[in-house]
Amino acid sequence: MPIGGFVVTVDPDKVDRVKEMLLAISGAELHGQDEKGNLVLVLDAETSEEMELMTKEIRELPDVLALGLVYFHAEDEVERIEKGEYRPSRSFGRKPV
Amino acid sequence: MGLTRRDFLKRTAAAAAASYIGLRLPFDAPEEAMAADVDSWHIGSCRLCGVGCRVRLGVKDGRAVAIKGVPEARTSMGYLCMKGMLFYKLMGHPERLTTPLYRESKKDEFREISWEEALDIAADRFAKAVKEHGNDSVAYYGSGQALTEETYLFQKVMRAGLQTNNVEGNPRLCMASAVGGYLTSFGADEPIGSYADIEKATCFFIIGSNMAEAHPVIFRRVMRRKLDNRNSVTVINADPRISPTSRIADIHLMFEPGTDLAMLNAMAYVILDEGLADEKFIENYATFRIGKDKKEVTFEDYKEFLADYTPEKAAQICKGNITPEKIRKVARLFARSSATMSMWTMGINQRKRGVWANNMIHNLHILTGQLCKPGADSFSLTGQPNACGGVREGGGLCHILPGHRLVKKEKLRNQVEEAWGVPLGRIPPKPGYHTMAMFSAINQGKIKAIWINCTSPAQSLPNCDLYRKGMAREDCFMVVTDIFPTKTTELANLILPTAFHFEKTGVYGCTERRSQITRKAVDAPGKAMPEVWIVREWALKLAQKLQDPVIEKSVEPFKGLEPDYALPKAIWDEYTQKLTKGRDNDLRGATYEVLEKMADGVQWPAPTEEFALKGGTYKKFVRGIDPLADVHAKDDKPLQFYGPAHPDKKLWVWLRPHKGPEEMPDVQYPFYLSTGRIVDHWHTMSMTGRITELLRANPYAYVEINPSDAKALGIKPGDMVLVESRRGRNILPAKVYEGPVKGMVFVYWHDMDEDRMINRVTKDAYDPGSKEPEFKICACRIEKVSGPKPLKPYIVRM
Ligand code: SF4
Repeated sequence: MPIGGFVVTVDPDKVDRVKEMLLAISGAELHGQDEKGNLVLVLDAETSEEMELMTKEIRELPDVLALGLVYFHAEDEVERIEKGEYRPSRSFGRKPV
Repeated sequence: MGLTRRDFLKRTAAAAAASYIGLRLPFDAPEEAMAADVDSWHIGSCRLCGVGCRVRLGVKDGRAVAIKGVPEARTSMGYLCMKGMLFYKLMGHPERLTTPLYRESKKDEFREISWEEALDIAADRFAKAVKEHGNDSVAYYGSGQALTEETYLFQKVMRAGLQTNNVEGNPRLCMASAVGGYLTSFGADEPIGSYADIEKATCFFIIGSNMAEAHPVIFRRVMRRKLDNRNSVTVINADPRISPTSRIADIHLMFEPGTDLAMLNAMAYVILDEGLADEKFIENYATFRIGKDKKEVTFEDYKEFLADYTPEKAAQICKGNITPEKIRKVARLFARSSATMSMWTMGINQRKRGVWANNMIHNLHILTGQLCKPGADSFSLTGQPNACGGVREGGGLCHILPGHRLVKKEKLRNQVEEAWGVPLGRIPPKPGYHTMAMFSAINQGKIKAIWINCTSPAQSLPNCDLYRKGMAREDCFMVVTDIFPTKTTELANLILPTAFHFEKTGVYGCTERRSQITRKAVDAPGKAMPEVWIVREWALKLAQKLQDPVIEKSVEPFKGLEPDYALPKAIWDEYTQKLTKGRDNDLRGATYEVLEKMADGVQWPAPTEEFALKGGTYKKFVRGIDPLADVHAKDDKPLQFYGPAHPDKKLWVWLRPHKGPEEMPDVQYPFYLSTGRIVDHWHTMSMTGRITELLRANPYAYVEINPSDAKALGIKPGDMVLVESRRGRNILPAKVYEGPVKGMVFVYWHDMDEDRMINRVTKDAYDPGSKEPEFKICACRIEKVSGPKPLKPYIVRM
């Protein structure tokens, strides 16, 4: 199950509101904040696709200005892919330029 | 201690994030967990956009299992975006191409073949084409995602071996106008400044770029700069569409598509009219030019020319929310700020007059002296990770040779021939087909064998149906090297599986003239091989079949080298030591040894290892910072514009008129259609999660429509809407929102489904200078076809 460490940057005046919204997401943990509107967020998801959707949802929250990933671990999922227990639903990654 | 492994990992993740913002957590960074989460960490670049973020890839039991940012990297400062996060899934992905596949006819099924047989067929078909139809009946079409070593070797074999300049690449579709702009305005390709200017700029002019989605980590830096200096930093966003980038803007300039040239000229008008120009800077460093023959004119001529672009007149052309007062205000902010940084991408480049649009932005910087000082720059952002390094610098386009040399100049061709040890005159003097001409030539049956590497033109060319017909021709033999099946492999005769990033070694050069190495960390799946090995082996077979020792000569220095490290290193050495020597992109100091020591690579010019080890040149043309500015100094002025394209060593202010797009809306096709990217464009519907709101996430391309247009046409959110142009049609679900300006619709272009592939609708007009197509603007009509329908995402599979 993938785990991600993020810095969420929020409009400093709106931090409390955003924190509430983040905590309403299951699998999200907040580990601290600074005075500039940066929050330390850890996400724990079933699959990385779900993690991606969670991050999309967070990015789209009003007053969230940026979501920066700094650490991502997905060993369990890699094992599941290799064992054929889990098949990512599509290929991706090559921008079709 | 009762901590599970999972808790350890979560603490590791939290500690990593906390360290970025200097926060102490109630628990210590779990050192053991840090060590236990992977076997080894391997530093490299992210491969999924042109920002050039550095990552550490965590490998355990030979597999990539984790990723983290590299805080000491000057590009990303440790941050990554979501695309970076998903790296690991590409390795060992069940759909990877793992063995060569061949079919004689495009109607047949593919069959698995050996490498020996595959390379033999590829060599045979290229040799046959050359013998029967001449050297220009073969072509290479590459990518801004290929490593520099790969692009360099491909073009070397094509030019010196097969004696054709039919060498192109997808950067023609995204960067060519920026290249044209830099060369004609500053005399040298690629930005003068660096990302480091972001933290010193006090005014950002972001035009034609949705960097929040396309360059998230750079956007993060701009956003941080703004948030930390709310009152002293101004962000101006100019775009016909409100995008996530607009969230941090103080001023949003919204105009009808294609009218920004008038606006940019009007800004110049205001700058001169209100005495905001830096007269001294202009006198020292600028001349004024007009027309195809680059005729020099006077400052007075320029002023006279601009008389036609009063803010009043421009506002009438631009419409949207543009008023004369707004243009004045923005021009004043631009000129008066202590340091202005412009940033743009495809909204400026993918235009019928993309080079002009680039020139006009540069004009503003030259007029106001907003160049070559900390925080001030005219900075084009690159889309792909190695469009700059590999294709622009490495010789990946039909008219340029490695080291920013023009094909048409004999002296420069001879330099390359000498460096390669091939007979003088071996490289043909005529540039090859540019991208649109190349695919038109395929349509006309002129190209008999083409090698497409690491890109999918069947989907990415504008008006793609027209060109897919050509690619489907039986008389055009198509080799495709890639890691996954694509719309283009569907039209291939021969598919060759390649190693992916971190499965091979090589260098990427990102937006800011920065070269960074990524070394092999895991094995490629199945029989997939690095491209450099593929090209070398193919060339050796070609040499035999064509009985031409010069072809063999082109790969001679690389014979027998193992492909994972020694081979790319030898190619890089040849390229940097022999072909960048004495050129503006001097990379001689950026050896593999140096690149491997640096967390974030080297910015050229970097003529010596000693200089490269300090990071290279942060700002070009400034004496004391750029070593070449001292070497080429022609007087004692602090700035020396030594670029190869301007004999007078000056910056050129261009007199460029406003010109609208090739195709304007009319009665039949009354809307503007524009296209663009979404940050997570690859992602899918599959949603097994437990978060109900996420079900709303949209896995397909959709068409964005302004609410007032939607209302007039009776279109509701989710309705299926026909988007039709003179060339083709799509049927897409509607998203109704205050994004695009009234009268314009916007479609994301990544969807592979035939009904939602927007390049079937876009127009293939192109800039006469840069030959870059006008993806961003054409005319279309829209119509509701039905209410919402359940849709399925579509992906090409073998
Ligand atoms: S911004 Fe670009 S280079 Fe950086 S992590 Fe995202 S996709 Fe990769």
